[in-house]
Amino acid sequence: MILLEPHNVIIQTTVLEKIQKPGSLDVVFVDYDNVRFHLSTPERKTVLLLSMNIRCWDELVQYGALDILRREYGSLLSSKVEPDYNVSLEIDLEQAPAEAEARDAFVLSLAMMKRNALAAPFERGFATQKELETTGGQGELMKVHYRDEEAMYIQAAPDRVTVIFSTVFREETDRIFGKVFLQEFVDARRQPSIQNAPQVLYSSRDPPLEIRHLPGLRNSEDIGYVTFVLFPRHFSHSSVASGTISHIQLFRDYLHYHIKCSKAYMHSRMRHRVTEFQKVLNRAKTEVATTERKTASGRTMLSR
Amino acid sequence: MSNVLRPYLAAVRSTLTAALTLENFASQVVERHNKPEVESASSKEVLLNPLTISRNENERVLIEPSGNSIRLSIRIKQADEIERILCNKFTRFMMQRADSFIVLRRKPVPGYDISFLITNTHTETMLKHKIVDFIIQFMEEVDKEISEMKLSLNARARIVAESYLTAFNA
Amino acid sequence: MDQAFRKIDIDIYDEDVLQESELYEADPRDPVEVLEDAKQRQAAVRSFLAKNDIPGALTIILDNAPYGPNVDDAKIITLQTLLTILNTTKSTEITGVIKGLSLDTQDTLMKYLYKGMAMPGWGDISGSVRLGWHEKLTEVAGVGCIVRTMTDRRTV
Repeated sequence: MILLEPHNVIIQTTVLEKIQKPGSLDVVFVDYDNVRFHLSTPERKTVLLLSMNIRCWDELVQYGALDILRREYGSLLSSKVEPDYNVSLEIDLEQAPAEAEARDAFVLSLAMMKRNALAAPFERGFATQKELETTGGQGELMKVHYRDEEAMYIQAAPDRVTVIFSTVFREETDRIFGKVFLQEFVDARRQPSIQNAPQVLYSSRDPPLEIRHLPGLRNSEDIGYVTFVLFPRHFSHSSVASGTISHIQLFRDYLHYHIKCSKAYMHSRMRHRVTEFQKVLNRAKTEVATTERKTASGRTMLSR
Repeated sequence: MSNVLRPYLAAVRSTLTAALTLENFASQVVERHNKPEVESASSKEVLLNPLTISRNENERVLIEPSGNSIRLSIRIKQADEIERILCNKFTRFMMQRADSFIVLRRKPVPGYDISFLITNTHTETMLKHKIVDFIIQFMEEVDKEISEMKLSLNARARIVAESYLTAFNA
Repeated sequence: MDQAFRKIDIDIYDEDVLQESELYEADPRDPVEVLEDAKQRQAAVRSFLAKNDIPGALTIILDNAPYGPNVDDAKIITLQTLLTILNTTKSTEITGVIKGLSLDTQDTLMKYLYKGMAMPGWGDISGSVRLGWHEKLTEVAGVGCIVRTMTDRRTV
């Protein structure tokens, strides 16, 4: 699996299962970026309550997340929100579409809850770009602090939408591996087959110009900034736009996922190599005849 | 074995063979102690001249012989930041398993990446030429392993970047 | 209470303690004299090299080479001169040249090869030239030559 999926597999499988066979349920689970979910049946077995807690909810609401969720889920959006969570959906399983295809689509849309909430600033950015085409100027710089130390920044301009990720590399290995990966992101665009992809810029330490004026940006070795420049061709068509949003949201997780994978691979390689060395060294040992030694009383002597 | 590396490894091999003439030697300073003289360095008369074999500034081997033990330290080639971190990880990984690599020292000598401590007990229980073989094979393969790991990292990075960016075309 | 006395290395006051100077016989010559000598040899080597007489040049520089403390300058000059000789020798001739040297001279040559390798990047000689010489010298003189380099306290 190279690419990450934008939907939550637990929601997908659990809801599908419960539609076929309703039963009482109470599960708490998580998704990328410390998003927490709670899926339960508080009243009846046929009514599921799906609640989500996301770190940057206040920011997302400001950029219109509620409108998007209302558009996606309509009446499912519950008026009362479960305590400790930011948003709740009330899913009446008896109302779920009957035929298989529609049902799968319905469940998938539920599983995309996090993706839809996070889509708000992107959709607003794309809309702003359209307006700016005639009026000119710069759109608002939207900040989404979706992790404790990491954030994304989205800004529309008359001819493009810029998305900037700040990402922290916890240890030196991650930092160096991250550099290798990001360098490839920058270089990969030279290939003719990927010429249409968004332009990628990468800087470690120094924040890019667009966000340099913001307070509270760290300026240390372990931080990196990745800039994606999205052109209208990436979002002018609505289906392309939704694909772009699902895809770009997961960039940070995608990058770190593959850094971890590489580390795991290196580790397994080293393990293998070290066992090989061990074998070579063991060949150096001379055969020691291990005869059982006994004491006078007949007990076996053991060497420590 | 590559032809460039051969004279270097040959020099290490002959020097190590020369140095591995160890015999039991109890401490002259502390009674009933028997410790590697090269580590305790308490009597100069059993410490011999340390020898260095080098290919260039970044690849060298230091062999410190003494009456009952020798210490061999290797500085592994590290051309850039990635090789440095990979080398560091690899040697650390090995040194954490120093228990099973009986001739391995848990810490490298300052200025080197990995050190081996071979004592008379080791030469008595193991075949001398095989110990030499082990060290030479280690030196040969550690370079290869590090450059292969670096290649695989780059290859993975390229695939990852390409498949991420290609997805935007869809 | 003063505890500095605990840090005193009492072993050096032991009558039986081994001194550096007891390990080998010191060079009777004066350091200045040795330095002069090294310079003269450097000049002599140049004239041998001009005649393309490598074995002669090597014998001149390696016999009675400076050793012991206080003669670092002379050692450096000797090493420099030796590296010039090593550099000018064709790789096909090395074995023949080494075979023409006496045992003592071979040992001294080995000492200088190790000294040169201990200072990588020093002097205008590539690592592979030194390693080539080392390999051929080991072939001719055997491992014993390396052992003598290790054990001889008269370091160069």
